[in-house]
Amino acid sequence: MPCLVIDRVSKSFGGVKALDAASFSLDAGELVGLIGPNGSGKTTLINILSGHLAADSGSVALDDEPISGLRPEVLARRGVLRMFQLTRAFPRMSALDNLLVAGCALGLPQHEAHARALGLIEDLRLTRIMHLDAAQLSGGQLKLLEFGSCFMVPPRIALLDEPFAAVHPTLKEIMAGFIRRRHAAGQTFLLVSHDMPVIVELCPRTVCMNAGRVIADEATRAVLADPVVIEAYLGEAAI
Amino acid sequence: MAGGIGTGDRLRAEFVASFVILLLVAVLPAFVTNAYWQGVVVVSMYFALLAVAWNILAGYTGQFSLAPAAFGMIGAYTTGLLSYYYGTGAAIGVPAAIIVSGGIGLALGRIVLRLRGPYLALTTLSFAEIMRLVISNSIDFTRGDLGLNVLGIFEERLAYYYLILAVLFAVQAGLYYLLRARAGLYLRAIRDDEIAAASRGVKIVWWKTFAFTLSAAICGLAGALYGHFAQFVSPELGLLSQTGIVISMVVIGGLGTLVGPVGGALLVYVLSEFLRDVGNAQLVVFAFLVIVFARFFRQGLWGLLLAAVGFWRARPVAPSPAAK
Repeated sequence: MPCLVIDRVSKSFGGVKALDAASFSLDAGELVGLIGPNGSGKTTLINILSGHLAADSGSVALDDEPISGLRPEVLARRGVLRMFQLTRAFPRMSALDNLLVAGCALGLPQHEAHARALGLIEDLRLTRIMHLDAAQLSGGQLKLLEFGSCFMVPPRIALLDEPFAAVHPTLKEIMAGFIRRRHAAGQTFLLVSHDMPVIVELCPRTVCMNAGRVIADEATRAVLADPVVIEAYLGEAAI
Repeated sequence: MAGGIGTGDRLRAEFVASFVILLLVAVLPAFVTNAYWQGVVVVSMYFALLAVAWNILAGYTGQFSLAPAAFGMIGAYTTGLLSYYYGTGAAIGVPAAIIVSGGIGLALGRIVLRLRGPYLALTTLSFAEIMRLVISNSIDFTRGDLGLNVLGIFEERLAYYYLILAVLFAVQAGLYYLLRARAGLYLRAIRDDEIAAASRGVKIVWWKTFAFTLSAAICGLAGALYGHFAQFVSPELGLLSQTGIVISMVVIGGLGTLVGPVGGALLVYVLSEFLRDVGNAQLVVFAFLVIVFARFFRQGLWGLLLAAVGFWRARPVAPSPAAK
């Protein structure tokens, strides 16, 4: 049963078509990779799915209910949680408080939020820095913290925009392991990444976008071998 | 789990410090028997209420409003007009002032919801000046710059002193419990990054409007009490320079802390009395202090105090087996 259905979503910025009738869907429990060259519309799509941008046309449905045009906080409460490509945390709040915001805002009782935050902090190996303000954390630790914020309440779908970008391999492995475990437990993910080895390793299925359109949507290895995808990344072969 | 959620220890230290300050204020009349100086402390507590209210917005929610004095004026005129036309006392006037200023704050809060930084500051500044000019020019209704006489509550100055002190303490205590609970988490999250807060499910529209309304209502309460104390209200209460004083108090005391506005207001206002003889030199001094604090000591006097305590604790001592 499809969990998220994206149907002919278009979005233009001035004369630039960032999304051009992009369509695909995710089944509940799927872990789908979203790849494409820079400027292909991946982040624009994530912004529309999470309510930070309004689509010009087309529709998005979550569990058969239309969710286009809902505000980010409403979507978060419906279970659409995201990570930002450029990390967003609360710099003057401790790492623990950062997680508590996410837990409490999604309706957890305070003691429950506290217990879950401590669990996530241990899972993501942030125990040493849990009482430091987010402003004092490294870039990688911030990514982990934002990543953790998405799982205080298991979301209906987690939209992860470049979680592995500019992150130390050890931290990357912590996140990848976490994604694997949650996926095995039935969590639905849409994972944007430029890191092909990770996509191959984690995602059974991958969607590739170019110039705002979906140009491939099948098993990950097949997508990466697709001449259209290779052409999008490397440009046309010289004749 | 002990002590609420979030950064509980920090908040508790700030609350205890402000409690100590208010305790000192409570015993002060035993030593300062001069009615004039007791009056100075009463006015400084009026400013402390405005400063506390402004700090909810600027310090905890990241909304830089320039309207605290205007909301104080609205509260003062609410009870002033009721007193002037209907002869009502504080029992009706003060709650009415809270409701009217809170209601106007709610409306303004909804209007400026999407505005940030300089745009929010300019819009609230325009609002403040418009309100002042409307009151100042509605001569038939408000007597304009002549001001209004307001019924007093007590005969004794000390009674006002302890009434306003009790109100200030109640507001501080209420705020402490509010900030310790979820509201504190949400407001600080909105201050730090509104987009991130929304994406984690925080109802930013609701909480920003709540902060704006609460802040305006506290200003209105302060203004109404001041009106009954002074037994006179005038449009001068809403002057931008009054807001400037409030901002300087919070910045000097410590923006975004519970104790900063209270300590800053009492200190700045009482000290400014000493500078009164030299005319407007007080404004020059405070403007200079605000620049120095904003540039070098973002956490204000409270931050300096914490740094001093930290320095003292970290001083080299004889090695003890318990040291980590």
